[in-house]
Amino acid sequence: MSRTLKGPEEELSPTLQVSKVSESVEIERPTEVKDIPPAKLSIRNLEAWFGTKRALKGINLDVRENSITAFIGPSGCGKTTLIRCLNRMHEMTPGASAKGQAILDGMDMYDAKVDPVTIKRRIGMVFQKPNPFPTMSIYDNVAAGLKLNGIKDKKLIDDIVRESLEGAVLWEEVKNELNKPGMGLSGGQQQRLCIARALAMQPEILLMDEPTSALDPIASSKIEELVHGMKKDLTVVIVTHNMQQAARVSDYTAFMYLGELIEYGDTKQIFENPRMELTERYISGKFG
Amino acid sequence: MPRLMDLGISSVSENLSEMGNMAQRSLQIALDSYFQNNRSRKKVFELNEKLRSLEDEVGDIATEIVARYQPVAKDLRFIRASMEIAYIFWRFGRYSYDIIDTVDELHTGLDCNKTAVMEMSSFVLKAMELSLLSLRTRDETIVEKLYELDSTVDTLYRKYLRGTINANNKDDWKVHSRCDICNILILRYLERISDHACYLGDCVSYLVTGLSSPRR
Repeated sequence: MSRTLKGPEEELSPTLQVSKVSESVEIERPTEVKDIPPAKLSIRNLEAWFGTKRALKGINLDVRENSITAFIGPSGCGKTTLIRCLNRMHEMTPGASAKGQAILDGMDMYDAKVDPVTIKRRIGMVFQKPNPFPTMSIYDNVAAGLKLNGIKDKKLIDDIVRESLEGAVLWEEVKNELNKPGMGLSGGQQQRLCIARALAMQPEILLMDEPTSALDPIASSKIEELVHGMKKDLTVVIVTHNMQQAARVSDYTAFMYLGELIEYGDTKQIFENPRMELTERYISGKFG
Repeated sequence: MPRLMDLGISSVSENLSEMGNMAQRSLQIALDSYFQNNRSRKKVFELNEKLRSLEDEVGDIATEIVARYQPVAKDLRFIRASMEIAYIFWRFGRYSYDIIDTVDELHTGLDCNKTAVMEMSSFVLKAMELSLLSLRTRDETIVEKLYELDSTVDTLYRKYLRGTINANNKDDWKVHSRCDICNILILRYLERISDHACYLGDCVSYLVTGLSSPRR
């Protein structure tokens, strides 16, 4: 694997455009130069398979630090596969494989020496459907990861649980019922509990796979506000089918189609003036 | 299958098309009233009122489209541009009304030298026609021709203004005053129309390319 391409320290434009799956990466500089945050995670020629079916075709993009990046595209375009490759969950599916580079702060996550568990600590994940641990209390749901990682200091765990629940804007709603089952919360609260659980591990990147698709509009809006607030502390990647959501919450948007990255750029540019006809047609609701 | 949003977009397009025709007619009537000494104030006033009402209507539909369908890309640019274009058409109508108002107030009973207005109006009518053509055909390249015409119009305006000032320094101001004021005001309104024709070209350029005015 591991072809050496541009390293993460090299400043690439957010409007990085990929013309082909091959080694060449065509970079288009934006007309208006803005302060572009450094790349937190650089994806280079990333490919993914389910058996012999190629689900990702040479993806190249830089996920910017302390920003929100949205992956959009029709069903089956590879957005969820891509996000699952970013914390090495994809390879846990039987028959699934991936190759290429995903460089996190200079470390290639797909290097043979890298332990996937370390990656999962640094890159958290929130799924489409809220999935609190069914037998655990609210408190234990958040503390579970800490305990699994060998933290025994009760005071420390208490502090992190509180900070995480505050970070997920859930503390005020549950502070007097921390011992009640997590499953007893509403759908929106459960999803925030899952976010708190992910935050407890103090990840550098949080991956969110359609985190509001199972929620009502009010709960969705709370999650969106929460995501927006989180970017000061971490980098967020969100997969969404809801283009208005991508437009509302993200700083950068990547449009994918049939396993390829069609266009990636500043969210305003993607939604106001997409460069690719395919992007234009998709976001305008003309197909998909 | 057309999208629900397309109904609103088509309604805005129809309004803009009607407004363009009305604005053009309005200026032509106002100029004819000066050149041919006829009185058409009421017609221009009615057109101006209708343009204002259509501008409101375009704004209402555009706002509704934004609220209901969250347009993006070309649709979004069309909505943004259409509100500005509707305003420009109303300004065309308003300046035409200002011209006819000036003619009524100052030109009644006079036979002024109309050469300067004739010369400039030919450029301004051409600019207006080109701006409407650029909107109809979505041809953003026309904006360059509009800039050229606008530059000519600006030059003519300054030339006539300076000429009038110099002439009145030498001659008896009272002899020329009413005609000079009338002509200068009309020329000023024509110069503003030419500017707005450029703005319309800019809107078409933004609509097609997504980039703001090439001139700015």
